[in-house]
Amino acid sequence: MLLEVLLIIPLVIAVLSYSIKNRALVQWMMVAGGASSFVIAVLLGLEVWSDGPYEHSIWYVDQLSVYMLCIITFVALMVATYSVSYIRHDHEEKEIGTRQLKMYHIFVQIFLFTMLVVVSSNNMGIMWIAIEGTTLASAFLVGFYEKDTSIEAAWKYIIICSVGITLALFGTIITYASSTEVLGESSDALNWTKLRDAAPLLEPTFLKIAFIFIVIGYGTKVGLVPMHTWLPDAHSQAPSPVSALMSGVLLNCAFYGIIRYYIISEIRVPGFAPDLMLIFGLLSLFVAAFFILISRDFKRMLAYSSVEHMGIISLGFGIGGPLGIFGAMFHMLNHSLTKTLMFLCTGNVVQKYNTREIGEVRGMATVMPITAALFLLGALAITGSPPFGPFLSEIVIMQAGLSYGRYIVTTVYVLLLVVVFAGFMYHVSRMVFGEPTEGVTRGEIHKLSLVPMTILLSTILVIGIFMPEELTNILREVAKVVPGSG
Amino acid sequence: MSSEIFVDAINGLGAVVLLTSIFLVASKRMVSFVRTFAVQSLALGLFAAIVAYHMGADHIYIVAVLTIALKALIIPTFLTRTIERIHVKREIEPLVGVPMSLLICGGLAFVGYYVSEPIIAGGNAITKNCFAISLAVVLIGLFLMISRKKAMTEIIAILVIENGLFLGAISIAYGMPLIVEIGIFFDVLGAVLIMGIYAFKINQTFETLDTSFMRRLRD
Repeated sequence: MLLEVLLIIPLVIAVLSYSIKNRALVQWMMVAGGASSFVIAVLLGLEVWSDGPYEHSIWYVDQLSVYMLCIITFVALMVATYSVSYIRHDHEEKEIGTRQLKMYHIFVQIFLFTMLVVVSSNNMGIMWIAIEGTTLASAFLVGFYEKDTSIEAAWKYIIICSVGITLALFGTIITYASSTEVLGESSDALNWTKLRDAAPLLEPTFLKIAFIFIVIGYGTKVGLVPMHTWLPDAHSQAPSPVSALMSGVLLNCAFYGIIRYYIISEIRVPGFAPDLMLIFGLLSLFVAAFFILISRDFKRMLAYSSVEHMGIISLGFGIGGPLGIFGAMFHMLNHSLTKTLMFLCTGNVVQKYNTREIGEVRGMATVMPITAALFLLGALAITGSPPFGPFLSEIVIMQAGLSYGRYIVTTVYVLLLVVVFAGFMYHVSRMVFGEPTEGVTRGEIHKLSLVPMTILLSTILVIGIFMPEELTNILREVAKVVPGSG
Repeated sequence: MSSEIFVDAINGLGAVVLLTSIFLVASKRMVSFVRTFAVQSLALGLFAAIVAYHMGADHIYIVAVLTIALKALIIPTFLTRTIERIHVKREIEPLVGVPMSLLICGGLAFVGYYVSEPIIAGGNAITKNCFAISLAVVLIGLFLMISRKKAMTEIIAILVIENGLFLGAISIAYGMPLIVEIGIFFDVLGAVLIMGIYAFKINQTFETLDTSFMRRLRD
């Protein structure tokens, strides 16, 4: 029952946003919807924790799904709160018209709906449809400003992701073909629970081929190198709250698709999937580190940082074992929270300075001290400095690498992290310190936006310093969904 | 009907799907490009219908009807309208010349057969031959994607890849579950509509449909 309510909320809000004229009301409705979704996701989590996985017709919600649902709804709540002032500012500055304002609210809600479906459907085919749905729902949001660059980004986004996702469909078809030979031609032969139970009987060659296509297909959406080319364009052109949603939770959703197949593949052909993830992970880290060093546009820099972090998560799954998977799952949470904070900060910077060039932003500390402080601390967090959450998860993955004897991989991983840290700090310090850029008035751009940003920073700080016992237990339960990690 | 006629019909329609893909590569005019795609979808729909009749599987009939309605009628009409509304040069200027492209397609068809060998080796279903064709069609679609740089040709290339996968799904698993198939159709329709709208915007902004002009975003 709870799940159905959770799925209906964004749809209801989308319909209401279409019909209600009063824009302020729609914006606060978005916040209220976000808050109630988060509460419901937590309640659903408690239910799953006490009664075990929830399974009903095409829905299946286990610990992993609930974990993702909570992350999505929390980030969505933060983004909704931030959007209130951000979008109003754009509208007042005549950047966008009333029609676009309306479209923004409708598409953000549909986008949320598709992401919620991705992580709660049992049927792998429906999951595929929902992941393709996220592309369609967010395409308009990427091209939101209707400038030549945003149209270019939206076109690349929709074409590259659609091609990628058709390859994932091929992987799904092959999986289905192998499962019908075991389960017969029933409509639930694509259900993840059935596939998991039948996994020991499935044809290994089929599973291997399928997993390759799945990693390439969903990996396009995750932004793994070399399928990442759309990502810096789309994430830099979209409005900042949308970038936050795309980087913070959309990438996780696509990763979720890979994890489900990873589990099936691990049951039948252990060792095959991790090796593949290890290669993609290292490659992503390497390329992202290079592009972070040479970046000139701070939103692109953050987009490449997302590629880097997806690489780290992929590496965690590649190393595998209880520690590696624990670390990867933990890093998903930390990355979501921190990257959302960072993109929300850049929203304030873009609206204040009217540029995305790193070289043209100077003296943030004098112009808007609170945003500058949040931005600087967020940058420290995203590069894995103590005492923030991402530091812990990156250390866990390093520890996993060392304890399973992957010394070379771990060394390369740590070296690349250092390179990313240096590059990031160089760019960020240029933006935060120094004499303010001429012609920029002092003062925070909108006070309300500071609330979600502060909440996000305190969350990663609490995770980093105290690491609540409950969270460790939750993560351990989540990691147990993957075989070989119990 | 005896099963031999079925095998002939199924293989024949599979061949039509492959041939139309090759015609697409050779095509130089936008309108004939869209028409060839419509013919390919029609062949695919009939293919599904014959399989449905042979297997006695009712849900494939629905899929067949949807394929013909959507991919052979609605989408081509929408694309032709968009082309007419945009009024740009209708010729396709390929990055790779037609003779070379045809040669590459021959190679891709061969790769399709070679790769599918281990997958179809174990099975004995009558449609398994078409799995090789489906792989070839997917590869030709990917080739179209990278070698033709008009927004409209990129849309069709995605649809061709989708057609190839659809053929593959029927060949090795007699189609996906119905609810999934319908969802996929819904997605394809949505994707084509959005891409059509963007093709229109690209034409407005860049005054061309040539996507290789879009090079403003780089590091």
